[in-house]
Amino acid sequence: MPESRETSLPLIRSVPALALLVLTSTGLPGCGDREPDDTRVVDLLPEQIGAWTREESPASYDRETIFGYIDGAGEVYRSYAFARVNVAVYTNPAAPDMTVELFDMGNPADAYGVFSYAREREQSGIGGGYEQRGRVLCFWQDRYYVCVASEERDADSDRATQDVARAISERLPPVSEPPDLVSMLPSDGLVPFSQRFFHLHQSLNYHYYLARENILGLTEETDAVLARYAPGSTYLLLVRYANGTEAAAAASSFRQGYLPEAGESQTVETENGAFLSYGHRDRFVIVVLDAVSEDAANDLFQATLNRLTGSSD
Amino acid sequence: MAEKTTGLSRRNFMKGVGGALLGMAAGLPKPAFGRVAQAGNSRVVLIRNEEVVLGLNDYDADLIQQMLDEALVALFGLETPSDCWSQMLRPDDVVGIKTNVWRYLPTPPELEQAIRRGVLGAGVSEEKVAISDRGVQRSEVFQTSTALINTRPMRTHAWSGVGSLIKNYIMFDYPPDYHDDACASLAKLWELPVTKGKTRLNVLVMLNPQFHNIGPHHFDPSYTWPYGGLIVSTDPVAADAIGLRIIQQKRRLVFGEDRPLQPTAHHIALADSEYGLGNAAMDRIELVRLGWQDESLI
Repeated sequence: MPESRETSLPLIRSVPALALLVLTSTGLPGCGDREPDDTRVVDLLPEQIGAWTREESPASYDRETIFGYIDGAGEVYRSYAFARVNVAVYTNPAAPDMTVELFDMGNPADAYGVFSYAREREQSGIGGGYEQRGRVLCFWQDRYYVCVASEERDADSDRATQDVARAISERLPPVSEPPDLVSMLPSDGLVPFSQRFFHLHQSLNYHYYLARENILGLTEETDAVLARYAPGSTYLLLVRYANGTEAAAAASSFRQGYLPEAGESQTVETENGAFLSYGHRDRFVIVVLDAVSEDAANDLFQATLNRLTGSSD
Repeated sequence: MAEKTTGLSRRNFMKGVGGALLGMAAGLPKPAFGRVAQAGNSRVVLIRNEEVVLGLNDYDADLIQQMLDEALVALFGLETPSDCWSQMLRPDDVVGIKTNVWRYLPTPPELEQAIRRGVLGAGVSEEKVAISDRGVQRSEVFQTSTALINTRPMRTHAWSGVGSLIKNYIMFDYPPDYHDDACASLAKLWELPVTKGKTRLNVLVMLNPQFHNIGPHHFDPSYTWPYGGLIVSTDPVAADAIGLRIIQQKRRLVFGEDRPLQPTAHHIALADSEYGLGNAAMDRIELVRLGWQDESLI
């Protein structure tokens, strides 16, 4: 971004929560540990929910042992400030078993993040938002990401899954807002439920394969949101760094690594006939990808910039 | 921050530089040219049966045996299945059958036993045959093995794109060591002393493949379909490449658009282009189709 376009923005607090959790969770119990004395978990996953009875004390998996529960997909959770998941099976003689997973994601932003990771749509009424697909219902609330899965799907299981989810939601701390970075996205053209909040390079490549190398310098301490926009299949990536120096370095790295021929130009046509626009402003880097025209790329870039200029702590 | 070069990037794929196969795996535009690491072609047998799938994780054992037998004969070009097993194995071999126990979609026990019967039929003694997944590092048979048979179902996976034959060897080492870049380096597993050069057969289970996930790790039967297939090859990369194309085509049909896997299953293409483990490009794969042909998706 040309220097002349730069302005100062109010500081927005950065929360390096993932790094903190990595350090603090290493001494937690191991694979599949039972936690009968963990009254907090017992409170959140009680022995009885309506007609549903918990089989035994919840099993517990931390950052190191989660692979024993969900194999390599555990990396999705570890890419956030995930601290622990507690898993309980509930039985009801008149219905299929129900498995409840209570993920402590460390902070509300990362609970939203993992909820947004593979969300295809979102409904309101349970927690900060929920999605029910097939026999699985997942929602986020405060720092928790909760999934309730019926072992089988029948005529009553969808309602039963919702009932159990609501009962757990009532025991959790109050609903919080999505990360502030998500609210900074322009609303015009935004494809519903397409926002993905994350921190790491690997997560960006999950949603939009950019490059093998971490050319944007994403770390546990960066916050990022990727969203789709109409027309076409345009992506907007907004990254917040710890300070303006890091953002400027990231923009430079991106230019050198991804747009080596671009020179000082901030908008380029890429090999697929689409347009890319990028730049940095204070602590933020903005990248518009796969826009249908140069004007569309510039317009979305500018709209994002306007949102940032209007943002505040 | 130090400036970096990309190595492989989305734009490289578009240009066809250094990652043509990778770009294809990523669902990106076809590049101008590409590079293929392998010199020879790989034969892959896709055999299907409309009646083998009775339900989710419920299969006709006799038909599985019949499908495996027919596939082996076609793969090796020999007279009988027992000829094929005898070509693959010697009576003094120690044989590990690497299976997959993921609880929602495991390798069918019926297939495990069909393979085991073939191994025993080659003259290998019972105590020198083991079937395992997560216990391979504790299994004396696997640790002293002279031959491996590799089998698992293909399914979408939230960190590697798909669970593949290549990925099935991850339990031979510490899995997190292979998680970087969507498990891009999984082919290195095939260079471990415990695995290198030992694999005699790969059977990719496509009986009820999973083509989509719910969230990062949840399973729902509605994202499987009764494809009724087995993909059999001595080349794990080629077998995975065929399975991946079928999964991607199924996604196109169901979603009505080209929706790439998330993340992309580029570890399959890289197993070819960077590690030389096998052939991922269709022009290096000799695909033999047997049995039920309707909606084969490839």
